[in-house]
Amino acid sequence: MRHEFAVQVGPVGFRVGSEWRAPVASLQRLYEGYPPPEGGVADFSVRLEAERPWRRWMKPSVAIRGDYVLPDAAPLALAHGLLAAEMGMNLQMALGQKRYLLLHASAAERDGKCVLMTGASGSGKSTLAAMLGEHGWRFMGDEFALLDPETWLLHPFPRAISLKNRGIHAMEELVGPDRFGPWLKGTPKGTLRHLRPRQDAIARMGEPARPALILFPTYGADTAVRPVGAAEVFVRLTQASTNYVTLGERGFGALSHLVTEVPARAIDYPDGKAAMEAVEALWAELS
Amino acid sequence: MSEETDQQQTQPAPSRRMVLALGAAAASTVVTIRPALAQTAGSVLNCQIPVPAPQAAGNYIAPDGSLVAPGTPGSFPPAPRALTGEEVKVMLRGGPSPAGIDSQSAQAYANYIRRLQAGMSGFTCYASLQMPR
Amino acid sequence: MAGPLYIADPEELVRAVELDGLTALFHVPSGMTHILAPPAPQILAALRGEGADAAELARRLSESFEIEGGEAEMEARLAELEAAGLVRRA
Repeated sequence: MRHEFAVQVGPVGFRVGSEWRAPVASLQRLYEGYPPPEGGVADFSVRLEAERPWRRWMKPSVAIRGDYVLPDAAPLALAHGLLAAEMGMNLQMALGQKRYLLLHASAAERDGKCVLMTGASGSGKSTLAAMLGEHGWRFMGDEFALLDPETWLLHPFPRAISLKNRGIHAMEELVGPDRFGPWLKGTPKGTLRHLRPRQDAIARMGEPARPALILFPTYGADTAVRPVGAAEVFVRLTQASTNYVTLGERGFGALSHLVTEVPARAIDYPDGKAAMEAVEALWAELS
Repeated sequence: MSEETDQQQTQPAPSRRMVLALGAAAASTVVTIRPALAQTAGSVLNCQIPVPAPQAAGNYIAPDGSLVAPGTPGSFPPAPRALTGEEVKVMLRGGPSPAGIDSQSAQAYANYIRRLQAGMSGFTCYASLQMPR
Repeated sequence: MAGPLYIADPEELVRAVELDGLTALFHVPSGMTHILAPPAPQILAALRGEGADAAELARRLSESFEIEGGEAEMEARLAELEAAGLVRRA
């Protein structure tokens, strides 16, 4: 394709081809410092294509295509091309990843162990992981956590962090402007801004960690912590995984081991600071 | 376990059997894990539903959502544009019809969407709206 | 009047893990995962090897348990397990 971008993220290499220059330019700035795909070969390809031939110039409309496509996907405006590329990479993982059990969760590492945070959109898991990354933890990922069924270790997948609304402002107070992507307003996901992870997260993207704590965060209420039973954790994680069924017995083994070995808590929190305190307290108690 | 009492027993019990309650007839003791693709993929990608699907282009929509020949009395022409996942979610809950679409057409379109089967354009989007978030 | 005979797959064809009072079960032939609450796991165990109808099943279970519930409840449990593909008519 006319314009190309390639990057290694954790154990996965991506290639993004685009009919327009702008999304590729945005990707190159956002992923500055990331290595190219290992061995020069990408695991997955994303293609940003014009919905119809004439939509390349007139009210440009970006269709997300690639090795794996989802039928019924709505095209995005060219101004949101960066978001289209990110969604495209997510889609390749969601539909094509077979080596690792994919969990829709954020993760952060300390001392070789990691905390996994999972929940619905709006739970704050992306912002929490980003904040931990600025407070002595190593950021591992905000969208997907990769569980190895053979070793039971969690592998980093440190893509650019996708922040919404409050999360953007919270991180702007902690991080300088050069790590941020452009403001994307009026997208199907609302107002977004991407944040490049810290240098250490990028440099150590190949280092897995042992899961030691599972959290189900909910933003918006006074701090409260509740235990979550292993059966409930198991079911919730199957619903947070796109490839649990595909992986069959390997997936079952990995997930049942995870939920029987690793403690889980649901935490309500009113703001980032309270959340971090709760996470640190639970980590000291349980990890 | 409770201590042995000194009540009279007609015969020495070899062991205490645990109670196994069969549960009510209507109870559910087996929950099958269903694939979560529609839910999670729906959260990573914005989706839309064309009414009717391109495979059925040229058909009109009857009030009950079935496909009929164009011009059939009481039927509605195809939607002027594909409906977004958000619009469909609101419609299916009985909320206001999407911009540019009158309420009667919207009802017919909603019924059409409810009848979507796997393989038809829009089904994955509809399925992802069904899963609890 | 004897009812239909049900049988469960042998132990090698399932993987079971206890999770706080419930059982997570992977059924190898179908690749499906189920979460079971008592008495479902106990019924499965009693139906491995040799088929049984509801009455015979109740007798087998009574060797280890005191059963609470009658024929209608037992049949409901068997119907659930059959719908999940974990038992079949022998």
